[in-house]
Amino acid sequence: MSLDQAMRLTEIMLALAFLQQSVEHLIAGRREIMLFAPRMALCVLLLIGVQAPLVCLGLSALALAILKRFNGPYNGGSDRMSLLILFSLTLAEFMPNQRLQEYVFGYLALQLVLSYFISGYVKVVNPQWRSGRALQDVFEFSAYPVSEGLRQWAKHPRILWAASWGVISFELVFPLTIFSQPGLIIGLIVAGSFHFSNACFFGLNRFFWIWLCAYPSILWLQDRAFVFA
Amino acid sequence: MFHTLKLLLPALIPSWRFFDEIGPSPRIEFALLAKQDDEPAAWAEFRPRPTHISVKTMLRRMVWNPRWNETLFMVSCAERLMDKPTQHSDSEIFDRICAELSRAGEGAAAFLVFRLVYISRNGTVLEKEITYISRPRPRSEPRAGAAQ
Repeated sequence: MSLDQAMRLTEIMLALAFLQQSVEHLIAGRREIMLFAPRMALCVLLLIGVQAPLVCLGLSALALAILKRFNGPYNGGSDRMSLLILFSLTLAEFMPNQRLQEYVFGYLALQLVLSYFISGYVKVVNPQWRSGRALQDVFEFSAYPVSEGLRQWAKHPRILWAASWGVISFELVFPLTIFSQPGLIIGLIVAGSFHFSNACFFGLNRFFWIWLCAYPSILWLQDRAFVFA
Repeated sequence: MFHTLKLLLPALIPSWRFFDEIGPSPRIEFALLAKQDDEPAAWAEFRPRPTHISVKTMLRRMVWNPRWNETLFMVSCAERLMDKPTQHSDSEIFDRICAELSRAGEGAAAFLVFRLVYISRNGTVLEKEITYISRPRPRSEPRAGAAQ
């Protein structure tokens, strides 16, 4: 995948993810609609590829206004990833040459790898995660499970212990997948499935869509750095 | 502008420490009052979870999940209130409860108060602690900028 293709694919996926996020705000008050309706219009332009650098700049300015409106991210980590992708893309668009574009887009790919690896690392050094207790607490009393029925999973500590180690192992191993194209594709499918299950169990639908948007950057980097003709 | 850039920085240089610790978890409860100085008689949990959610609903929520995402934002505001209290976080929670009650047609009581109940683990027991009680305010009070 060339840099141009990866950036264009990211633009299309980001436009769709932002449209999904924005449409959810249309049922809120007028002040939210005033921020998210223009964002939807810019997303349509980005989707069809009109003046991408300027549209990205406009989306970045709006993102700052949205950040100010909610005094921080509205949707935690998914908003942070949204900002990271948007600002990386915008900066890459305005870089004077391809080498600098590659550095900026490569930074996004690096952060994607770190998003899994560091999440795994902070879990593996925590005895609560290693024993499965942390995941048990997530199901038992955290604010995330979408139904009371799901809280019953807290009564199955062995399954949650195995699930904890499954998540930790995957997150720690993920950086190694970059050394092989099939390995990376399998890694991204597993990662996507992980985000999908989080969306189903914990209602984190925005995480699912926005993390997918960063995948072209790692596919490009893998191609650029580790595939030899 | 400096404040906004300060909010942006953790997104551009993220820590990625998702769920590193499972700390006390907030629940938002509210009570309706006829008069501002009334004592709250009955607290109700805001948006209690359903017992069960169908697979169809889970799949629909992949693309349309505004209420849940709003609830998660209110959880963030509750956490911010405990971490570094601001009028913004208080107003966001207050206004969104008001908006929800208006949608549900809960129109009789004139005043609203909310509180934060934190649930945490102490050994094998789950404990509840009330950590914040808002000022009772008229439901029609001008808003600081949250949901309408």
